[in-house]
Amino acid sequence: MEGRGTGPSLPCPPRRGAAGLLLLAVLLALAACGRSPTEGQGPQGGAAPLEVWAHAGQEAERRVLEAQAARYNASGPAIPVRLTFLPEGGYNAQVQAAALAGDLPCLLELDGPYLAHYVWQGKLRPLDELLPEALRRDLLPSILAQGTYRGRLYGVGTFDSGLGLYGRRSLLEAVVEAVGAELPRGPEEAWPVERFEALLEALAARDPDGAVLDLGLQLRGEWYTYAFAPVLHSAGSSLLAPGPDGRLHAVGVLDGPASVAALERIQGWIRRGWVDPNLDEAAFTAGRVALAWGGHWDFPRYREAWGEDLVLLPLPDFGRGSRTGQGSWVWTVTRGCDRPEAAAAFLRFLLRPEEILAMTAANAAVPARRSAVARSPLYGPQGPLRLFAVQLAGGWAVPRPRTAAYPVVTSAFQEAFAAARDGLDVAAALRRAARTIDRELAEGGYGAEARGL
Amino acid sequence: MRGGRALAALALWAFALVYLAPVAFMVVGSLKPDERVLTEAGSLAALWPAEASLQNFRDVLRRVDFPRYLLNSLWITGATVALGLVVNGLAGYALARLRWRGRRAALALVLALLVIPFEAIAVPLFYLVSLLGWRDTYTVQILPFVANAFAVYLFYSFFLDLPRELEEAARVDGAGVLRTFCSVVLPNARPVLATVAVTTFLFQWGSFLWPLLVTTGEAVRPLPVALAAFQTLPPRQWGDILAFGVMMVAPVVLLYLLFQPAFLRGARLAGPKG
Amino acid sequence: MGRRPGASEPFSEEARAGRWLTAPALAGLLLFALLPFLGAVALSLTDLRLGSPRPPAFVGLEQYQRLLEDPAFLAALGNNLLFALGVVPVQTGLALLLALGLNRRFPGQMALRTLLFLPVVFPMALVAVMWTVLYAPGPGGAVNAFLEAVTFGLWEPRDFLRDPAWALPAVMLTSVWQGVGFQMVVLLAGLQAIPRELYEAARVDGAGPWRQFLHVTLPGLRNPLLFVVLVTAILAFRVFDQIQIMTQGGPGQATTTLMYEAVRAAFVRQQLAQGAAISVVLFLLVLGLTLLQRRLLRQRQVLA
Repeated sequence: MEGRGTGPSLPCPPRRGAAGLLLLAVLLALAACGRSPTEGQGPQGGAAPLEVWAHAGQEAERRVLEAQAARYNASGPAIPVRLTFLPEGGYNAQVQAAALAGDLPCLLELDGPYLAHYVWQGKLRPLDELLPEALRRDLLPSILAQGTYRGRLYGVGTFDSGLGLYGRRSLLEAVVEAVGAELPRGPEEAWPVERFEALLEALAARDPDGAVLDLGLQLRGEWYTYAFAPVLHSAGSSLLAPGPDGRLHAVGVLDGPASVAALERIQGWIRRGWVDPNLDEAAFTAGRVALAWGGHWDFPRYREAWGEDLVLLPLPDFGRGSRTGQGSWVWTVTRGCDRPEAAAAFLRFLLRPEEILAMTAANAAVPARRSAVARSPLYGPQGPLRLFAVQLAGGWAVPRPRTAAYPVVTSAFQEAFAAARDGLDVAAALRRAARTIDRELAEGGYGAEARGL
Repeated sequence: MRGGRALAALALWAFALVYLAPVAFMVVGSLKPDERVLTEAGSLAALWPAEASLQNFRDVLRRVDFPRYLLNSLWITGATVALGLVVNGLAGYALARLRWRGRRAALALVLALLVIPFEAIAVPLFYLVSLLGWRDTYTVQILPFVANAFAVYLFYSFFLDLPRELEEAARVDGAGVLRTFCSVVLPNARPVLATVAVTTFLFQWGSFLWPLLVTTGEAVRPLPVALAAFQTLPPRQWGDILAFGVMMVAPVVLLYLLFQPAFLRGARLAGPKG
Repeated sequence: MGRRPGASEPFSEEARAGRWLTAPALAGLLLFALLPFLGAVALSLTDLRLGSPRPPAFVGLEQYQRLLEDPAFLAALGNNLLFALGVVPVQTGLALLLALGLNRRFPGQMALRTLLFLPVVFPMALVAVMWTVLYAPGPGGAVNAFLEAVTFGLWEPRDFLRDPAWALPAVMLTSVWQGVGFQMVVLLAGLQAIPRELYEAARVDGAGPWRQFLHVTLPGLRNPLLFVVLVTAILAFRVFDQIQIMTQGGPGQATTTLMYEAVRAAFVRQQLAQGAAISVVLFLLVLGLTLLQRRLLRQRQVLA
């Protein structure tokens, strides 16, 4: 390697070290695969496939969607589809960046509450003409509400979500009597938060490390808003509320005393060591905790771990009744899509009851159509997840605010919740979040859209 | 004196053992069942696998398209290094050796641009390439990093210090500029070529911020971004994540061990003169 | 390289070659460094938002004014400063110690140098992921267990990355771990360049090891040390990868940095203009440090 180059008679290109040749070889070898990574793979030179973007969620969910796309393509549609999965963290930022260059796919999955933002930006196409009336009538009201903005339907999910407390019956029953509580059978029987805390304390006393609750703190992003904004509602507060002028605002609401008290309570659980840090997402399945604040997507894993010992309960009542989250990912058709009919065809395929059931069998979500709910083993009258359906139908679930400013609303709340999680001053964190949100609502150029719907 | 020296050597070795424990932790963790990575992290078992298996590596290959990420990184890095050597080497030579009008201005520009850190232009550059529709390509990950003020400067100062006699002899023999460059200058420029190659290589191989901004799908996603995405991909399994890390760093470590002098000299030459 | 220079007119051929050989590099630098930089300045004077249907307007220096009132930005600025103030002395001191140790012959000296440089070839994203696991909270976490062992049980386990007092130092340690090998090699080269005779002369004058270090080694290392210190300081202002992967700026704003805030502003809040303004501030800080470095290093060259 250290050999020096010699006299001036060397030809060009000169003899180089082995490293140079190696590099060249590698480059040449790679040139082939470097050429066109995204080339179309239409069968037999048919139409270019339709681009579909989805979030990379739970593994089972991804596998089902892949299988559905394969089934659809095998059924001989005029235009096949091609799936791309984007990481869930920063999904919105990725899509927004792609949109700058006009690179949006035809069919785009969005996290439900972001829909208003995309409609305001003019990126979405109404679905009213693309989906048959009968299908729309069969959708759950929460699905329709989530996808509707300013009177038009822009997005449809194949499932809605459920949020609750998973528990291990055997561990809970050993302590419930001591604290004068029973296992609630429905949202109206949810534990008042004081009793819930007594329960945590009793559980902690019997637990080797004292951590008995999993709040999913290791998760980032939308989980915090989805899972803990309902607590604000249960405490009689919310993220945003319309002021006397009819405009939405957060100051005085999000940073009001009820919100502060609610988050301080959760902070107290963490401070007292009741909450597992859960770096590996295995706190509940590994048996480290008795209770887990979780979504429908946790059910398959939890059921596998604990079988009949698994029990699903409503979230605790922070004063105004138990409240829970709703909404999930929705499919939208982009305005720039030149083949909306093809996009709608795949969407209609995904919305077939049997396809909805294939998906919800894997991720345990609430099926989006009444006809599918009726056939679901999980959500039938005796189904283990009946509670989620009851919560959705009975008004216990609250949607996240439908405003074009949602990206900033949620990021500000997430930041405040993270601060509470880390033991910082809750009132100050919420004040900062509320100010950020109000400034965004005032200056983001949303106009009437800031009013929300 | 002699005892002190032995003690110092011993202390250095002890330090190195602790210092490299994280690497051992990663390698050992990649061979263990997922749940034991964390439960054994606080014991010596973190550094010694009771029963080793390659299951995590198989899991990574099953769960994500690792070969695609690897090829992406190799291609992006390789192309940037190769193009960068040519483009910056020629510019450094022309600035150091050739007489032409505009040379001083060009040199001043290169020196001025040296002070712009990439981070300061990432946001507007992202906006620019997005408007141009360049997102999600190899080109957008390669082209902005080919011309590099620091590399030009390294070449420039190296060629400035090279004795002129050989080139003059070649020119007297009637060789043109390019021919002189190839036949006389290049063979003597190995140290600076290695330096620029290594620094560019390490920069691109580890590049995270830029591909995070300009790639969306998996088609052109390089390893560091793929690792970050994999780390948050449910279910979060630490054995798999560490196995991903081992596979990601193995090619570089191999290159480093093979061409160690070039790496070390690279670090030295990137340092100050004198 | 398409052009074959003719041999007839050496002088004009040289001029032509000079321009052609420089052209690709200059074009690249103009397009991918100067233009975006000017773009950053221009964007920072508007209220451009990512994806907004509203056309951007010129707002003067409002974005900068806003930054001055933004607690997150001020926290980021402070954290970058703390990062520099913490990492620079620790990393330089450690690198110097290692270089001094490696500058003598002993068994395995070369192997040790190879090993200590190894983390430099690790991508920062990977290093950040590794240390996220190592910093696991509770007595079962690797770093906690190690500290407990070396303090004979006095150490209280912490959740490093969630603890407002420990998160930034934890990220700093991660950066030191990855970077110290590079500095070590630079300083080692500097040490080896110090002429032996200087030490001998000092010994003749009766100087002990400590005085030799003060009067021969340190002055001889002036330039490498200055280089290492300023390069590390500049890097401290560019920190992003570790923050994004390990802490997302938290807890609270304890570990946020300028670059992290720029990305958050531009992509999460979609306020591109604000992100551009932070970029410009970042540039000015790095510019200041670079000018300082040039001044100090040039001074030396004039003296020498």
